[in-house]
Formats: sequence, C-alpha cells, structure tokens
Amino acid sequence: MDITKKKRRIALGCEGSANKLGIGVILHEGDDLSTSTSTVLSNIRHTFVSPPGTGFLPKDTAHHHRAFFVRLAKQALTTAGLHPSEIDCICYTRGPGMGGPLTSVAVAARTLALLWDKPLVGVNHCVGHIEMGRAITGADHPVVLYVSGGNTQVIAYAEQRYRIFGETLDIAVGNCLDRFARALQISNDPAPGYNIEQLAKEGGRVLLDLPYAVKGMDCSFSGILTRAEELAAQMKSGAGKGPDGEPFTGADLCFSLQETVFAMLVEITERAMAHVGSNQVLIVGGVGCNERLQKMMELMATDRGGSVYATDERFCIDNGIMIAHAGLLAYETGFRTPIEESTCTQRFRTDEVLVKWRK
Amino acid sequence: MAAVAPPTEPQFPLPKVLTYPASTPPSLITQGAEGRVYKTTHLLASRPCALKYRPPKPYRHPILDARLTKARISSEAKVLERCWRDGVPVPAVYAMDPAAGWMMIEWIEGIPVRVGINGWLGERPEDGAETPKEDETPLVDLMKRIGTAVGALHRTGVVHGDLTTSNMMLRPRQGGQLENGCAGDEDRAKVVEGDVILIDFGLATQSMSDEDRAVDLYVLERAFASTHPRAERLFAVVLGSYKATFKKAPSVLIKLEDVRLRGRKRSMIG
Amino acid sequence: MTLEKLDLEHIPPAYQVYAALFRNVSNAEFLHAQLLSRNSDFEYAFIDASSVISRLHLLSAVYSAVNVLLDGTLRTPNVHSEIVVSMNISNNIADAYRRWGITPGKTKDLIVVKVVQPPTAPQDDASAQIPPQQAIWDHLKEHVQGTPTPLTDAEIAQATEWPKVRKYYRLNGVPLLDRLADPQEKLRQSEQLAIMGMALRGL
Repeated sequence: MDITKKKRRIALGCEGSANKLGIGVILHEGDDLSTSTSTVLSNIRHTFVSPPGTGFLPKDTAHHHRAFFVRLAKQALTTAGLHPSEIDCICYTRGPGMGGPLTSVAVAARTLALLWDKPLVGVNHCVGHIEMGRAITGADHPVVLYVSGGNTQVIAYAEQRYRIFGETLDIAVGNCLDRFARALQISNDPAPGYNIEQLAKEGGRVLLDLPYAVKGMDCSFSGILTRAEELAAQMKSGAGKGPDGEPFTGADLCFSLQETVFAMLVEITERAMAHVGSNQVLIVGGVGCNERLQKMMELMATDRGGSVYATDERFCIDNGIMIAHAGLLAYETGFRTPIEESTCTQRFRTDEVLVKWRK
Repeated sequence: MAAVAPPTEPQFPLPKVLTYPASTPPSLITQGAEGRVYKTTHLLASRPCALKYRPPKPYRHPILDARLTKARISSEAKVLERCWRDGVPVPAVYAMDPAAGWMMIEWIEGIPVRVGINGWLGERPEDGAETPKEDETPLVDLMKRIGTAVGALHRTGVVHGDLTTSNMMLRPRQGGQLENGCAGDEDRAKVVEGDVILIDFGLATQSMSDEDRAVDLYVLERAFASTHPRAERLFAVVLGSYKATFKKAPSVLIKLEDVRLRGRKRSMIG
Repeated sequence: MTLEKLDLEHIPPAYQVYAALFRNVSNAEFLHAQLLSRNSDFEYAFIDASSVISRLHLLSAVYSAVNVLLDGTLRTPNVHSEIVVSMNISNNIADAYRRWGITPGKTKDLIVVKVVQPPTAPQDDASAQIPPQQAIWDHLKEHVQGTPTPLTDAEIAQATEWPKVRKYYRLNGVPLLDRLADPQEKLRQSEQLAIMGMALRGL
C-alpha cells in the first residue's frame, strides 16, 4: 500500500551511535502529512556505564549493544502493544557516531528488516534529535543548539537543509564534560554530565579562570579541558588556590566549567539567532538536559524577546524514538535505504541530508 | 491645542555614559548580538562619533561577563589603532572605557557599500545578451577600492572576521555630496564614489594566517553572492586589486580555493 | 578674564571645567612646590603646554579623567592628577608627571585646568557667594606669574615642541604620517594618533 495513503504509519527506530542503546516505536496519524500527529508508542533505552575515571570504549560499547538489542526490541514491541506486521519500516542510525556501536545496531536493524520483510531507512543522528525536538516542543522554526558527547553545532533550517552556522573546532562540549568528570573521578552513572551539574550546585564561591574560546559562531573546548584538568590536579595535590587565595573544591571547578562552556554555547546561539532573524531556540542532545544551560539560554532568549524550547532526558539523551520519527518523516516522502546500501558511517554531516519533508 | 505625545521610553536603557547631557540626544543606529551602536558626540557638539556599547549579558556569570566585555572592547580598539597607524582605512578611536563596555570612535559619513552597489545595480536591467555592455567603470573602480582596502587590512596583520558590504562605508570625498540611493541620471556614478572605510571590527583578530585571511575573503565572496548576485562576477576585480596591494596574496588565494571547496566548514566525527 | 569655561559633551551639569593658558611662566618652582606639599588651595592640573598639540588633544585628557572620576576608578589622588596621567599612552604615572606635568626650571608655557565638583558637604556661606569662575581666576592671577593668553589652537601650536610630542606619542616612523606631505593634514593625523594612544592607554 502507498504509505502516503495510509492513515496510521508506524516506524521502529534503533539508535546506538554512542553508549546508549535505544529502541522506540512511533505512530504518525492523519490523512495529510503536513498536519499529522506523532505519538510515542514506546521508547526503551539501556546505557553502557563504564567505571568512574574511564570512558566507554568502542569495543565494549558495541558488545553491550549486541548483548541488549533483542531484549530491548522485544520490550519496545510489547510496550507499544504491536505485532511486527503492523510496522511500516525499520529505521536505524547511519551516523555520525562511533564505528563499532553503530555497526552493531545497523546489523541488528538489517536483520529485523530481513526477518520481518520491512523496508529500511538510514537516519542521520543529528537530524533525529532536531526532528524529535521540534515534534515534542512544537518549536516551528528554531535555531537549534545540538550539544552532546559527540557533537556541538548551531543549526538553522534553510532551503531543505539543516545548515550548520557554527560548531566546535575540536572536541564536543559533552566530550569535554565527560573527560573532565574522569579527571575528578566523578561517577558515570547515570551520566557524568548529570553528576557534574549536581556537584556544580554546591560550588560557586569562586569563579575559576578558564579560557573562553569563541570565534564568530564557532567555539573550541580542548583548551578549556586542559586547563580544567590542570586545576583538578592542583586541587588534588592541595596546591590549588582560587582568585580569593583560598583552596577551591571540585564543586567550584564543576561550577566554573559549566559557567564558562555554557556561556560560550549561549553566545554562539545568540549570534546565529541575530544572523537568521529567529527568536526561537531549541536545545537538543544529551547536554541539553542540563538545567543550568537551559536557564542561561532562557535568560538570553528573554533578553531578545524570544523563547527557549527544551526537552527532558527521555528525548534529549540519545534514544530510539527520534530515529523512528525522523526516519518515518523521510519514509513518508518516499525515502528508502536499500539493504545493499545499509551501511553506517562515523562522519555524516547534518547538512548532507535533504530535508524533503519541510518546505 | 494639540495633544502632546508622552515621551517614548527608549527601547533599551542607555549606557550610563550617554545619560549625561550632550548637545544632541544619542540615537540608536544598530542593535546586534554583539552590542549596540549609538550616534553621539565626542567632547564637542561639532564632533560626531559612534559609541559602541556591549551591554552586560544577563546569562553570563558577572565576573566572566566583566572579563569578556573588557577584553573585547580593548581588543577591538587595539585592532583599530593598529590599522590606523598603518594607514588602513578604519574609524579612529576617540575614547573608551573597557570596564564600562563602551568606546567612542570616529563617525563615518556616507552610505554602506552595499547600498551604493545596489543603488548602481538597481536601475539596470538584468544581465542579458542583447543589452549592449554599458560603461561599468565606476562600479569596477569601487571593486578595486574594496580589494585595496582588504589587502591593506591583511597586510597589517588583521583579519576582519565579518567582511560584508554592510561593514564597509563609502565616505564622500571632500566637496562631493553623496545622497542615499536616488541619484539623478547625470550623476549615477555618484552612488559608487567615495573612499572605502572598513567598519565593525567586533569579531576582528590579529592574525597572519593564510587560512584566516582566506576565510575573510570567502565570507566577503559569499556576502557578494547573496547581497549582489548581479555584481558577483565582478568579485574577480576585488581579488585582483587585493593581489596588487598585498604581497602575500598569492598563497591566500590558493588557500581560498580550499576554503571554497569545503564551504568553510570541516568534516567532522560524530 | 582668560579663564575659559569648557562645555564638554557627556559631563554632568554639576561638574564644571575651566582652563587657562599662561605663557612665559616664571614661577614653575613655586607652583610645583604647592603640588608636592598637597596644598589644597592648588587643586589644579598644571600641564606643560610644550607637550600639548591642540585643544582637542587637551580636552580628550580632561574628558577621560572626568569619566574616570565619575566611574569612581581614579588611579591617582584626584581628578587633576588624573588629567595629567591621562595625557600619557602608558600607565607609568611618574613618566606622565615628568612629561606633561609642571617641571621646575623647564616649564615656560602652562595650561591650567580646574574641575569643580559638586560639593560633598554643605558649603559655608562665604565661599558660596563668589562665582567659582571669578574666584578661580583671581586665585590663578595672584599665584601664576606669566602672561595670560587665550587657550587657542594657534597659541598652543606656538608652544608645542614637536620632537618631544613625537617621542611621547610614538609618532616617528608611522607609515600613515610618513605618507603625508601637507603639514596641516600631518598635524591633524598626529593629533588623532595622540588621542587614540591616550584612549588606549596601557593596552
């Protein structure tokens, strides 16, 4: 049956570009694609958590995803109350992300497609975040700040592409936070960024001086990480003194790091907003859960007479439902990924995707 | 008796320095992400100036905000001074208070180059094979002056960071009058006459790198394409005079090829 | 009376600025001694006119000092000493006093600037009755031994010692100036470079 004629369209999405394995099922309902509604039928996630002081390695993460895939897929179907026959397409993350974990999930998605005889849709992870954010918040034409462990981009839509106006020139902001958490032996459970945020609430007696690296609409985090690691080492050795001459704490470091890197993110977002003449900001990606970042963004947007749209951890953090949703949007316009082309790739820029489902 | 309209509240609170009396009230010229520009006076009623103000950002920690504001005003002023000493056409710095987030700079009379170019192009038909080639000398001359100004800037070791035809002014030469847009037929060329002065150095940095310089040129080229599609073909003239002004231009122009290919941005791992 | 009231833009009405030029001053030692002893009757900025280019040049320093006063960030004892250090392009205070301040045995042409600030305490009746401009002028006439001269660009230009000014404002070997032939244009650009150097003091 022609998908555009169907009233109810259902996709299963598989995500595993980093340490979260996510499987979700989405329902699009309505005769007209432009006015159809989206309903989350299930959104299951399992995170590979490495011990404090370590990061997640591609090999271990890929193994985690393989080990949990079947369990999660079954759970996603059960929660949604669906039989595989009711699904229209299988969506999976083509990239960008870590090679090993991406491959595990791509192979599993391909298996489901062959097993159930369903078409496959390869999805750009970043576009997944953006589309899910738009669907959940109702932000119509926002400037998007996409911040996660692997990505830091300021994006705005123009002429069927999500165009990148600014981005990190080296490591992603989430990567900076994760690696800093290792230096302080902060727990990775549930996420290093979450624990930094909680710890930062106890700090703030002093603002430690960290490099501030913004260049136009781009920014850089490696210099800040290096300095923060140095300060962490000084603190441990007892030699670290704040601007007031008193020793500082890990909480002060977390506070200072957040204040500095988030100010950079808000600044480049504001510049992009001025550039494209938009007053809406949508924050997506794992770092987007951070309430301090959301608050700072709100202060900026309010100052400009605009508003901030953010989602909670169910959608901010990598998940399967966003892959299902963005995949289904593409599927509805006729997009397919043939089995023989169902590869994945570590590099896949947001602006490579032709956004056919938007005017 | 006519009703007197109540005084309208300014859209933004004035910086403290502008709350003190002056012969003419300050007027807000632009409001961007970086800050605001007011037209006001320096020392004397007869000395107009632009006051660039970076207001505090409510989202930033006050200590960080103060540090950044101060550093950015200072850095912009330093860049302007460096350019001025080397004879690069930029506004002079009159006064500043980096801690308070403002600086007063020379007021540049005239119109943005963008307005001049579009004023010239505005009355002309779309490029067509049938239309006889008209005398474009005044426009070509303007392109040359742009290239010379950018070449001088790069030679000095400064990259602008946001080169567009809105960030260049056409200042009338002494004795000449330049009116916004509507020029009579006999002095059509007037809209593209005048000295090219580079303005708005809020994103400028001191840099000698070919990459940074090439990105500067690329941004200008993109601005040409989007703002004056019909003058885009003349961008080669800009690059030609850039080359004639700046000895190290050849390696920058090679780099510009790379930058064009990758569209400024790098490939990136997820 | 050649004490001029200067109306500067962006200065609160409660602050008044007066200035005068004396040529051929013969008691620089005495005036300098009053400053050293912090004699409160001599709260003036004494500026050696040989280091000054023009009125605009002078006014830039005055405005800068008043702005610092309004900010509450004076780096020297008062607004008058602040005017002198505002003439400098570096933060070296001793250098500024030596170059632009009054120097015994050297200063011949003297610019005096007085900034009258709003009273911090209620004034007593006696001082309130004398208009400040007249009182200041009477005091200066009595103590500065020199020829009162209108504070014009032409008079300042007569006093300017260019080798000094070029050194103080690093005007030697500036590509912009070397390119100019017209002396008037050269003066205007030198004035501008000096003002810019002062604005960027210490950067």
